[in-house]
Amino acid sequence: MRLVIDPTRCHGHGTCAQLLDEYIRLDKWHYPIVGKQKVSAGHADLLMRAAQLCPELAISIVDD
Amino acid sequence: MIESVSASIMAPTGPRRLSLGWESAHRPSPSGRVAFVSDLSPRPRLVMPLAEHVAGYGRLPSGLTMRMALDTLRASNLTGRGGAGFPFWKKLQAVATAESRKSPVVIANGSESEPLSKKDTLLLKNNPHLVLDGISMIAGLLGAKSAYLYVKDREAHTAVNAAMRERRERGISELRVTVVEAPAGYVSGQETAVVRRIAKGPALPQFSLDRISTSGVRGAPTLLSNVETFAQVAIVLRFGADWYQQGGQGSDRGTRLLTLVGAVGRPGVYELLPGATLAELLREADAGDPRAVLVGGYFGRWVDLGTPNSTNFPMDDQTLAERKLSFGAGIFGVVGHDTCPVVEAAAITEYLAGQSAGQCGPCMHGLPEISTAMARIALSSDVERGMHDLRAVIPLVEHRGGCQHPDGVIQLVRSTVGAFAEEVKLHRSGRCTARGSHTSVLLPPGATVAAGAVVR
Repeated sequence: MRLVIDPTRCHGHGTCAQLLDEYIRLDKWHYPIVGKQKVSAGHADLLMRAAQLCPELAISIVDD
Repeated sequence: MIESVSASIMAPTGPRRLSLGWESAHRPSPSGRVAFVSDLSPRPRLVMPLAEHVAGYGRLPSGLTMRMALDTLRASNLTGRGGAGFPFWKKLQAVATAESRKSPVVIANGSESEPLSKKDTLLLKNNPHLVLDGISMIAGLLGAKSAYLYVKDREAHTAVNAAMRERRERGISELRVTVVEAPAGYVSGQETAVVRRIAKGPALPQFSLDRISTSGVRGAPTLLSNVETFAQVAIVLRFGADWYQQGGQGSDRGTRLLTLVGAVGRPGVYELLPGATLAELLREADAGDPRAVLVGGYFGRWVDLGTPNSTNFPMDDQTLAERKLSFGAGIFGVVGHDTCPVVEAAAITEYLAGQSAGQCGPCMHGLPEISTAMARIALSSDVERGMHDLRAVIPLVEHRGGCQHPDGVIQLVRSTVGAFAEEVKLHRSGRCTARGSHTSVLLPPGATVAAGAVVR
């Protein structure tokens, strides 16, 4: 699984980076930089929560 | 009416250049490969009547199948004329093979949101029938139920409406093309912004996991290309790839339009035959002894004319690519010795930073920082820090926007500090090669930038 963030929606709240700190870091303006690695199956619940809790609903989960 | 299919895509007998209809306005260069078509305020007085259009180009080919069209377009090497330069046949194939229950949508983009470009407006004002031919052919091949023409210029809008009325009156039965007005703004012509506007949304870029070829306007497979591309399609599918590539008798074959601006005696829209060199173009435009050319538009790359063999190459897609250049939006911006190309680039960067849609954080915050860094370098106010800031900020912006805007700016910035490394070095010691004032020759008319006022 991967997460994809819609940059036009993201307002840099940073919720995703708190939940998924292994995969996401914030740039100096507090916008998320998503790492290249896939999200492991063990973190699927976290990923779902991040997508649900994003205040801008900017996160999509892609299965590949 | 041309009966057999093979005949319909073979070379015809009439004149075939894109600019047909203004042959009298042309003064071809001695080489015959560069022709001045219009100044930068193209007037609509030369609109070609439909009868003359059909007499010159012939009727639309009949019996054309998608397979034949794809083969012909592929063999012609026709690439998009809006900026990305993507092979048109691939785009058509992607839409033709998209799995969707919705009928495809065809959009011709004539918004010309690159403010220095005039070629598309000229084409729409003077030769709207050729663009409509292309839209009609492609919509027909795809079985599209909707086709749109996205236009900003008011006179172009009028010319297109008149041409469509003429076609209706002459009983040409074809899909009705809806003209949609493009609002002002640099990003309003970005692919996804156009798609959004056509669906009655704001003309702002949007993010999608899908390409528009599979899911564009209201989820329908969408083919969007520049208006000149559609005009070229109408020529290629009439006269065939062989003619388009090699020409029939004489030097008559496929051409391309470009807009030449900046420090030249004759700025305007030019038409090129393949093989025309940059030197021929500059000579034709009375460029004198220019310093540099920005090739492709604001997202383009520089040619430093101070380097050897910098103009003596044919301007075709392949040769340009070998030189890490591209036609881009078909704009050539010439800078003379009065101004400094680094200052020009800094002014353009500042203008473009102001044109961000403000939707994506890295673009909204990063471009002003890149612009400030460019101003430091351009105005010799801490060049060291400017270069350092560029190295730090560019990785935070690149590939992180929802559209091509930030990456286009970065391409310009990289090309500037690369092509003019010696100039940047001079700036470090507070010097500059510019002989005159720093008045920009490449900013859009009426645009105001602080020109470095951000650096104190």
